[in-house]
Amino acid sequence: MIQISQLKKQYKEALVLDVDSLEIPSGECFGLVGNNGAGKTTLFRIILDLVRASSGYVKINGEDVSKTEAWKAKTGAYLDEHMLLAYLTPDEYFETLRVIYGMSVADLKNHLDRFTELFNDEVLGKKKYIRDLSKGNLKKVGIAAALMGNPDVVMLDEPFENLDPSSQIRLKKLILREKENSKITFLISSHDLNHVTEICERIVLLEKGKVIRDLREKAEMMSELEAYFTG
Amino acid sequence: MFFTLIRLQYLKSLRSTSFAKSVMTNILMGFLILVLLGYVVGLGLLLKSILDVAAPGEDYIALLNSYMIYFFLGEFLYRYFIQKLPVIELESLLHLPIGKGRIIQMLLVRSFISPLSIIAILLFLPFSLEVISAKFGFFGAFTWISAIALTSWTIHWFMLWFKQRFEDSLIGLFVIFLVLVLGAGSSYMGWFNLGEIMKPVFDFSLSSPIPLIGMLAVMIGSYFLCYKFYVSNAYLEDLSEEEDVRFVNQSIGLFSRFGLAGELANLEWKLIIRHKKSRTYLMLAGFFLLYGLIFYKNPQYATEGSGINWIFIFVGIFITGIFMLQYAQLFLSWNSANFDFFLSRKQGIESLVRGKYLLFIGVSFVCFLASVPYTFFGWQFLLLHICCLFFNIGILMHLIIYFSLWKPKPMDLNKGAMFNYEGVGAAQFLMILPMFLAPYAVYLPFYFLFNEYVGLLALGVIGLIGLLAFKPLSQININRVLRNRYEISSSFRQEL
Repeated sequence: MIQISQLKKQYKEALVLDVDSLEIPSGECFGLVGNNGAGKTTLFRIILDLVRASSGYVKINGEDVSKTEAWKAKTGAYLDEHMLLAYLTPDEYFETLRVIYGMSVADLKNHLDRFTELFNDEVLGKKKYIRDLSKGNLKKVGIAAALMGNPDVVMLDEPFENLDPSSQIRLKKLILREKENSKITFLISSHDLNHVTEICERIVLLEKGKVIRDLREKAEMMSELEAYFTG
Repeated sequence: MFFTLIRLQYLKSLRSTSFAKSVMTNILMGFLILVLLGYVVGLGLLLKSILDVAAPGEDYIALLNSYMIYFFLGEFLYRYFIQKLPVIELESLLHLPIGKGRIIQMLLVRSFISPLSIIAILLFLPFSLEVISAKFGFFGAFTWISAIALTSWTIHWFMLWFKQRFEDSLIGLFVIFLVLVLGAGSSYMGWFNLGEIMKPVFDFSLSSPIPLIGMLAVMIGSYFLCYKFYVSNAYLEDLSEEEDVRFVNQSIGLFSRFGLAGELANLEWKLIIRHKKSRTYLMLAGFFLLYGLIFYKNPQYATEGSGINWIFIFVGIFITGIFMLQYAQLFLSWNSANFDFFLSRKQGIESLVRGKYLLFIGVSFVCFLASVPYTFFGWQFLLLHICCLFFNIGILMHLIIYFSLWKPKPMDLNKGAMFNYEGVGAAQFLMILPMFLAPYAVYLPFYFLFNEYVGLLALGVIGLIGLLAFKPLSQININRVLRNRYEISSSFRQEL
């Protein structure tokens, strides 16, 4: 699904990302962990072609992301508020996306129905601009938007951050369900080791831009990560 | 404590990222302010001579006093547009153990330190020293100029209250409109002579300190009105008030015929309506529609024969395209807060640019329709506007967008537009040149070779050719955005 090869990102002297080779197969739930400044968000941004790689390439479905655009139709992402249109209400925002993705009104309704529980009646039908939503609700809007249009790949940067405990659990359930039903490949970065180990079958640990662990054994993940982070 | 706060303010402006990035803009602004103040001083020094020429043999002092109220009405207007509210910095201070009163005092005093506060003095001090002190003595000059300065400062405090209280509301607009009508109505239409009504007040200040004392009391009163209001509203919720949602789910139906680009044009329209800065731009476009009233029937520009003065080209370009000309200068900066949204969609950038084109063409066309009544002044103005419209949407639009794509900068759309130079860089200054020159570069050769009408026709035809070549021309700009997408999106992601 996603192939990364010889990927480097350099800001003047500082090498912030240096990934030799990384392959994420279709349908995998891929977790990305690492301390601040490890390069998680940079990696996501390069995969989404928001930041130019200094060298190397990223391919989604065999397409080099910096050369084509077709992959964008099948890739959903929510990294930060820059990916929302803050001056719309959530309803208008979803409506806009509906047109962009060429969905029918019924499709959109079906899609949003899957988020009823997560939204908890605080998002839809409110006369409030996205910019005035709380951080947690902002995140919910972004996540629901990232999953629109039947994507093959969904990338979420810190999806659990700012969510209340119930919403965290609901989101976890939702991701697991989507993975089950639609075979979506998830890329999730998180600081919450419990959540990420629970939903992801593979965890990659970044340190100063380098992949230093690639864990696939669910049983050992938690202990290995804990050992690393306690230092 | 007071000085700590002042120091914090100073550091804040010095260290803000936009300061470093736009040093040039700041220097230019400072220079501009100095030049303007220089003009005011010059005007002040020449005031006597000007009155001499304008109304020889009359009593200058009486004349000036009878016009004084218009000066203050004017001051009211320009303060409304220019004066900034000092509350934006409040958020970072409110939670600290400093008294609210003290913070507000500091902000108010700081707002007072501004070039606006000395304009009245600069303008009238030379006159009072030269003319008034000769006739009424030094004391008369002192009370007169003090009364004027205090009136000006009263407007300052009053305006701080007025803007915070009514800005962006219909009442505010209504009051401004009322002031305009009052000023224009009394002088042009001759309903009543406001100047004569207010004259005794200023006359009185020549011979008595009572108006001075009265104004001092009024100023202190207005300061406390302002102070009270700000202290009692020093809550985050009052400062950054959540706006009522406007025009929910209202779209311009016509745009939806243009597919994704049309959808994004609709989005852009919502963006314009829902942000303060862009709303001001839209309002200005409305005002500029009246621009022709100043020029078209002005005897100074009356021309034999065709009735088209060379300056009218410029007026026509402005009337039919002012919104586009202004808005397109900051082409992508308007979307700086959500540029990644468009980047991560398939054909997002392409449609964004095309959508903006669509919107510009639409708004220009509406402006043109609104300008049709000028035909009343003569058929040549209709022709002028048609040709200028074509040139605007055929050529100038592409040209300005091309320039604006040179290092676009992020900006905060929720700040006011007047003297807000966020997002403005060297490119925005430079592009004024082609804006002025391009129409004349086409018009003048044909005008000199043939006549005015051929010149106009040339404008129209070249615009029409540009319009027919819309696809390839817009593709140039689209490709430019696509080529620079990484730089643009990373600069937009930076904090303001």
